[in-house]
Amino acid sequence: MAETLTIHIDGRTLVAQSGETVLQVAKRNHIAIPTLCHDERLDAAGCCRACLVEIDGQRRLQPACNWPVSKELRVQTSSPRVQRHRATLLGLYVADHRLDSDGLPVHTTQGNDLRSLAQGIEFKRLLSIDSPRHPRGVDANPYIAYDPDLCILCARCTRYCDEVEAVSAISLAWRGAETSIATAGDRGLLDTSCELCGGCVDVCPTGAMHAKQAPRFEKPEAVQKVRTTCNFCGVGCQLDLNVQEGKIIQVTAPPPGETVNDGNLCVKGRFAYGFVHHDDRLRTPKIRGADGELHDATWDEALHYAAKGLLGVRDRHGPHALGFVSSSRCTNEENYLVQKLARAVFQTNNVHQCAAT
Amino acid sequence: MTNSVPEFRDCDLLFVIGSNTTEAHPVIAMEMKRALHRGARLFVADPRAIWLTQMAEQHLQHRPGSDVWLINALVHTVIAEQLYDRDYVANYTENFEELANLVKDYAPEQAEAITGVPAEQIRQLARAYATTKKAAIFYTLGITEHTHGTDNVFALANLVAITGHLGVRSAGLNPLRGQNNVQGAGDMGAHPDNLPGVQKVADAAVRARFETEWGVALPTERGLNLNEIMHGIEAGDIRGLFVMGEDILVSEPNVARLEHGLNQLEFVVLQEIFPSETARFAHVVLPAACFAEKDGTFTNTDRRVQRVRRAVAPPGQARPDWQILVDLARACGYPMPDYAAPAAIWAEMTRQSPKLAGISHERLDRDGGLQWPCPTPDHPGTPTLHVGGPMRGKVLLHAVKYRPSAEPPTPEYPLVLSTGRVLYHYNAGNQTRRDRGPNLKFSTNFVEISRRDARDLGVADGELVRVTSRRGQVEVPTLISSRVRPGLVWMPMHNFATATRTNLLTLDEGDPITGTAEYKVCAVRIERIAAT
Repeated sequence: MAETLTIHIDGRTLVAQSGETVLQVAKRNHIAIPTLCHDERLDAAGCCRACLVEIDGQRRLQPACNWPVSKELRVQTSSPRVQRHRATLLGLYVADHRLDSDGLPVHTTQGNDLRSLAQGIEFKRLLSIDSPRHPRGVDANPYIAYDPDLCILCARCTRYCDEVEAVSAISLAWRGAETSIATAGDRGLLDTSCELCGGCVDVCPTGAMHAKQAPRFEKPEAVQKVRTTCNFCGVGCQLDLNVQEGKIIQVTAPPPGETVNDGNLCVKGRFAYGFVHHDDRLRTPKIRGADGELHDATWDEALHYAAKGLLGVRDRHGPHALGFVSSSRCTNEENYLVQKLARAVFQTNNVHQCAAT
Repeated sequence: MTNSVPEFRDCDLLFVIGSNTTEAHPVIAMEMKRALHRGARLFVADPRAIWLTQMAEQHLQHRPGSDVWLINALVHTVIAEQLYDRDYVANYTENFEELANLVKDYAPEQAEAITGVPAEQIRQLARAYATTKKAAIFYTLGITEHTHGTDNVFALANLVAITGHLGVRSAGLNPLRGQNNVQGAGDMGAHPDNLPGVQKVADAAVRARFETEWGVALPTERGLNLNEIMHGIEAGDIRGLFVMGEDILVSEPNVARLEHGLNQLEFVVLQEIFPSETARFAHVVLPAACFAEKDGTFTNTDRRVQRVRRAVAPPGQARPDWQILVDLARACGYPMPDYAAPAAIWAEMTRQSPKLAGISHERLDRDGGLQWPCPTPDHPGTPTLHVGGPMRGKVLLHAVKYRPSAEPPTPEYPLVLSTGRVLYHYNAGNQTRRDRGPNLKFSTNFVEISRRDARDLGVADGELVRVTSRRGQVEVPTLISSRVRPGLVWMPMHNFATATRTNLLTLDEGDPITGTAEYKVCAVRIERIAAT
């Protein structure tokens, strides 16, 4: 069982549970510690070194994300030593990143945590390093792309692929400055164990892993996010439809910890929204004519034709000659109205939905 | 589901039976994988070596349709080895003696002969499951799509109840519901026996309340379920049909017979977003808005009511289904209220539905999803059911006997066909078939077949073959795979082309209680096309 104890961060005495990390306690108490490789869904890796803090009794700075609390632990999150470390570390990251005209890491539509950090911390300017990171070879998958110039090797994507999606399709590969994110045999994702869930895109802090069909460098104000519920399977994932000029341009997951899906989505929820704006969508009411074909009609004509047809069957054969097939794909409110239509208007309980398929 | 999705990452044991979770419920599968990453144990019972079996401690590869044998043998072991929860059985169950008597005849050794699962594997699972507190069972249509689907569920419920796995976090019995709102559609009364709020039509007091609410007398006779409506169409008892958002000519079994029936109908109304297969038979087609173009709510598999919000405008003259339904009712002469928004429809429903009365659109917008039962506006919702004892007082154990599937293989039709889903397509496929990614993965129907059966038939991987059942035939390429055992073939239920619909083959016989058809077992033969 978890034990309650107290620790001290920056002189504040805070309550913690055994098993928690310094980062978790700090976050709960609104003490800001920068992170890059951290994601609540993943095991702490401690590899980006952004969250290093001073811990009493430790000779070296230690990662807050991976340091378990203990009784009366004393932590400094912004001592001069920690600040010196951050300035150097950030300088190293920035020296190996694509920069905008202000010398800051580039803005990406999905966010660039490195840019946000660089905007908030005075960092050392170092000579630019042009790492010869391996780019991905030809990849015919329509959804996910990798831009090595934005990669900071935090390994969030590969760890997500191992720990959450558990298909291990991508991995850190090569050595030293050439280190990159690769697939086995450098194959395209369609030819690997990848299931195109897009979690790698979702966890990427810089936009190196990105959605092929989404805009990459747009300013966020042009995009409106509408929180809704996925329309495919029964998990009920919450998703954000990213809308621009009346079109869905991308689907993103809400942050982890907030919703039933904890920030996760599958290939269908995240990528298969093309049907919404598809040319095949029905746009006009249609009535079958004497020639056996469906012909365009006005709403008024179609509704009255439908009513007349259903009432006709009822009058000729009785209400039990009608069947109402409602939809497990439509909303609760619509299903309520279909059964009300069957029962209150047509006087039959012959109403069901595809509960079994 | 008795429990909630976010609980599953903390399970210590997962028993997945008849659920291809990584393909049909990928995000719940992620929660399972997180549990496994923490060290949880996984047991999978499935006739196919589905993806999850790669991560499983044991794969119990039982023969299709032998579920009752397998589950009763688990119950047998739990009772024979005294591993059941005596207190829970004594305090919270009825009929234990009858169950114990029945399962005496279901020893693992005999089960091995029928199910094909080694007796020792059955014992190991029974022991592991009974002795792990946070042990959850998951099932999907592999359990329910049988003529003995209800029996399968009863058998599982017995196992859960006698081991006291109800009302415990990260445990329980968890049917993973297939569609985004299959739970909600039933909750709303799109069910022949139920009025909104999961209340019985047969209950005169409930009926009276809705009669007052709607201002009309309501029918009292039992209605037909979907399977019976389909049979009624074929028999000529149903003469007119209203269909909203379902492509019955893809998703229903034995669709050739259904097409014949639809041809005889006097009138068919269809509300759809795409020109579906069913549209070919409609007298009038009403263009509807899709989920991204309207407001409302869906209820997911863990009884969580969540908002659906309009993000973009519907194409052309298409309108949200709820608006069409209001106008259709009015065109029929019924004074359907002029609802300003779906929130008003929801409010009308909750006035007469105590279990959902605490949920409103306003609250959902403020708090996010809420899980029913949620009777009052200050009720937090119910993530885990049956905490502190079963809701109905005691769990009634059902001693269910094995019944064979309706259509066993014969010399003429020597193979068992089972059906299911693939990750990249969704149900009828009207949505995913129009997207590039899913088609890069799967663009045609196929039949998964074991290496030995393929060799015996002399067919190569990818070769076009004719699959024939007593009801129809399709020509599809083979996919030679170690996922299926000899004697079993498997096809996805999605519609890739009208002529290759898998449900041209399947059996429309239904479970006697639910009417759910036996999609998971029918007899087929496979022939080379090149040879004929």
